[in-house]
Amino acid sequence: MSEVDANAAVDTVLLADGAKPAKAARREAGSSIDRQRKKLLIPFVGPAFILYTILFVVPSLAAVWISFHSWSGSGPMEFVGGENYVRVFKDPLFLKSFGNTLLLLFVVGIAIFVLAFAMSLVLRDMAGRKIVRSVIFFPHLINALVFGVLAGFIFNPGGIVNTLLGPLGVKEPPAWLAQENIFPLIMVTLVATTTGYYTTILMAGVDRIPPYYYEDCALAGATAFQRLRYVILPLTWDVFGTCAVLWTISSVKIFEIIWVFGGSSGAGIPPTQSWTTAVYTYVTAFSGQSTPSYGAATASAVISLALVSVLVVVLRRAMRRDAVEF
Amino acid sequence: MGAAARYIRPMAILAGAVLALSACGGGAGTAGAGADSTTGGSLTYWSMWKEGEPQQKVIAKAVADFTAQTGTEVKVQWQGRSNTEKLVPALNTNNVPDLVDGPYAKLAPVLGNTGQAAPLTKAYDTTVDGKKVAELIPAKYLATSNIKDKDGKPWMLPYSLSSDGIWFDAATHPELAASPPKTWDDFTSVLDKLKANGETPLAADGDIAGYNSLWFTTALIRAEGPGSFYKLASDKSGAGWDSPAVLAAAKRVEKIVNGGYLINGYAASKWPAQQQLWASGKAALMLNGSWTPTETATYASPGFQYASFPFPTIDGKSTSQRADFVGFAVPAKAKNQNKAQQLATFLLGKKYQDAYGTDAKVLPIRADAAISPEMASVKKALDAAPSVYLQNDGVTYPGFVEKVFWPKDDQLFLGKTSADDFVKQMKDAQIQYWKDNG
Repeated sequence: MSEVDANAAVDTVLLADGAKPAKAARREAGSSIDRQRKKLLIPFVGPAFILYTILFVVPSLAAVWISFHSWSGSGPMEFVGGENYVRVFKDPLFLKSFGNTLLLLFVVGIAIFVLAFAMSLVLRDMAGRKIVRSVIFFPHLINALVFGVLAGFIFNPGGIVNTLLGPLGVKEPPAWLAQENIFPLIMVTLVATTTGYYTTILMAGVDRIPPYYYEDCALAGATAFQRLRYVILPLTWDVFGTCAVLWTISSVKIFEIIWVFGGSSGAGIPPTQSWTTAVYTYVTAFSGQSTPSYGAATASAVISLALVSVLVVVLRRAMRRDAVEF
Repeated sequence: MGAAARYIRPMAILAGAVLALSACGGGAGTAGAGADSTTGGSLTYWSMWKEGEPQQKVIAKAVADFTAQTGTEVKVQWQGRSNTEKLVPALNTNNVPDLVDGPYAKLAPVLGNTGQAAPLTKAYDTTVDGKKVAELIPAKYLATSNIKDKDGKPWMLPYSLSSDGIWFDAATHPELAASPPKTWDDFTSVLDKLKANGETPLAADGDIAGYNSLWFTTALIRAEGPGSFYKLASDKSGAGWDSPAVLAAAKRVEKIVNGGYLINGYAASKWPAQQQLWASGKAALMLNGSWTPTETATYASPGFQYASFPFPTIDGKSTSQRADFVGFAVPAKAKNQNKAQQLATFLLGKKYQDAYGTDAKVLPIRADAAISPEMASVKKALDAAPSVYLQNDGVTYPGFVEKVFWPKDDQLFLGKTSADDFVKQMKDAQIQYWKDNG
C-alpha cells in the first residue's frame, strides 16, 4: 500500500459517518489534523462570532446609524445627515475633551512606558523582585472609584497633604482640587496606577531573554545602554507593541476615574476642564439635567472609535518588525 | 462521537442562549395586558428610591396597603436615581414600566418634553380623603405650566417637593432664627457682621456646579421674577445678557465671591467636604437644598438645630420660592395606565403624606400634611410664596445647562472671571449654542 493510499484509508475511517466522500478529502491539502481543525472551526468560532455580532457589531452599526439623526433617546427620530458630526466638531468643549483624550493617550502613555521599562530593567536582577512585582501591580486591582474618593481625603483643603505641609511652614498650600488642577492630578494618578500593570507584562518579556545574551554583552564589554539597544529592546519588541495597542484602546475609554475625581461623588458632573471624549459622550446622552441628545452623543462615540482604529493601525505599522526568534 | 454531534452540542447551547436572550426581551411587563381594570391584576413600578432610604420605607408601606386594598399586585423595582437613565432605552421597546417617579428635572427631559408621557387626567380627577387631587395640590404648584403636555394636560403627579434656603444652626445663631435677614442689604450686613466677629460667614462646595449656579439664578429670579432665567436662556439673539438686571445679578454673585465671605478652599475641594465643615460649625451659613438636614445629619455637631431663611429679596420684588416636584409619571406606552394612576394618587392619602413629612423628613406635596421641625422654615417660606419656580428655572434644552451655563457660572462663582466678563462670555456662548442647536 502506498503512502497516499494509506492516508486515504485513514480518512475513510475518520469520515466513516459519511460527512465527506474520501475522494474530496484526498484533494484537500494538509494532514488529517488540519482537516479536523477546519471542521471544528464553525462549532468553536461560530457561537463567539454570533454573540460578538449581536452584542458588539450590531450595536456599533446602530450607533453609526443613530449618529445621523436628531433623537432624544425615545420618540421620533429625525434624519439630519452629518449635522451631528459638524456640530460636535464645532463644539469647543468637544475639542477640549478630545485634546484631553490625546493627552492621556500620549503623555500618560509615554510616561507609563518609560517608567515601566525602567522598572522592569531595575527589577530584573533585584532581590525580592516577586514581592516588588506584586506590590507595584496592586494599584491596578483597585477600582478607580477608590482613587476618586481618596483624592478628597488627601487633597481637600483640610486633607492629609495640607495637614502635613502645615508644620513645614507652608501657609498657602496650592489649591490641589481647583478645576484646572484636577486633570493633571488624574494624569498622575493614572501613571501611578497603570505603570505596575505594564511593568508586569514587560517583565514577562524581559525574563524570557536567555541569560547567555547578557553574559555575551558582559564579555563584549557592552555598556548598559548598548545592552538595552541591541539585546533587550529587539527581543521584547513584540511584547512592547502589544502593550502599546492595549494602552491605546484602554486610554480612549477612560471614564470612571474622571467621573469620580471631580465633583461627582454622587452630586454632580466633573468640571469641563477634565472631560474626555468618553465623559463628553456620557454627559451628552445621560446628563440627567437636560433633554438627552443621542445623535450628538453617538457621533462623539463614533469619532472615538475611529480614533482608536486609526491609531491602532498606525501603531501596528510603526511597530512592525520581524519577531526575533530565540 | 460523530461529526454531527460535534456540531449539535455547541449549536444547542447557542440556541439556548438565543432563546434566553429573547425571553428576557419579551417577558416581563406584559402581565394583565388588555384587562386594565382597577382591581386585581398587576403593574410595574420603577422607583427612584433604594431599599432602606427613609422615603422608600414610606412608599413601600403605601404600596403594601394599596395591594391589600385593591388586590393589585405591584412589581416594584427599587432602582435608585438612575431609574430615568434606564427608562430611556426601555421606551423603545414594549417592555416599559407602568409607573416611574423622579424629580421634575429628570422626568421632563425623557418623558414630558419628548411626548412620551401619558396624560394623568384620571389621577387629577380622583377623590382622595374627600377632595379632588387637583385641589389637594396647592394651585400655585400646578400653575407651573411646565408639567403640562402639548394638549395642556398634566403628565406628572407630584407627591413631594424639594426647595432651597440659606441654612444655619439655630442653636449657635438664635439671632438669625429670631430675625432672619429679609432683603439683600440685610443679608450682606449679616455677612459683614459674621466676618467682623471672626466667623466664616458662608460655606459652599464649589465643585458642585448645580449649587454654585443657585446664586446667580436665584439672584436673577428675585429681581426679575420666576421665568426670567428661562426667558434669558431661550433668547436666541443672546441680547438678554446685555440687560442691566442680568449684570446686576452677576455683580451680586461677584460681591459674595470677592467679599471674602466664603470658606477658605471652597474652590478646590470635593463635596461633601465643605458642607461637613458647615455642619460642624466651621461656617455660619450655607445656601443649599431642602435635603440638607437629612444629608448632613450624620456629621452635624451635637445639638445642631437646623433652620433656614429664604434667599433674600432684591429691591422688594419677587418672594417666590423654588419648588421642584418629585413625583410620578406614566409612560404613554404603559399597559396598565389606569392602575398606575390609581397607585400614584394613593400616595397622596393624608396618612402617607404625613409619614413622608415626619418619617422621611422631606416636604410632602399636600399643604395640610405634617412636617418635621427641620423643614418648618422652608415650609413657611413656601406657603407664603405667591408663586414657585423650578430648578434652573425649568431650562432643559439639550446640553445648555451642563455645557454652556454651568462651566461659565463656575468661573464666576469660583472667582476666575468678573461679572462683566461672565455676562459677555455667556452672551457669545449662548448665540453659538442656538446657532448649533436652533
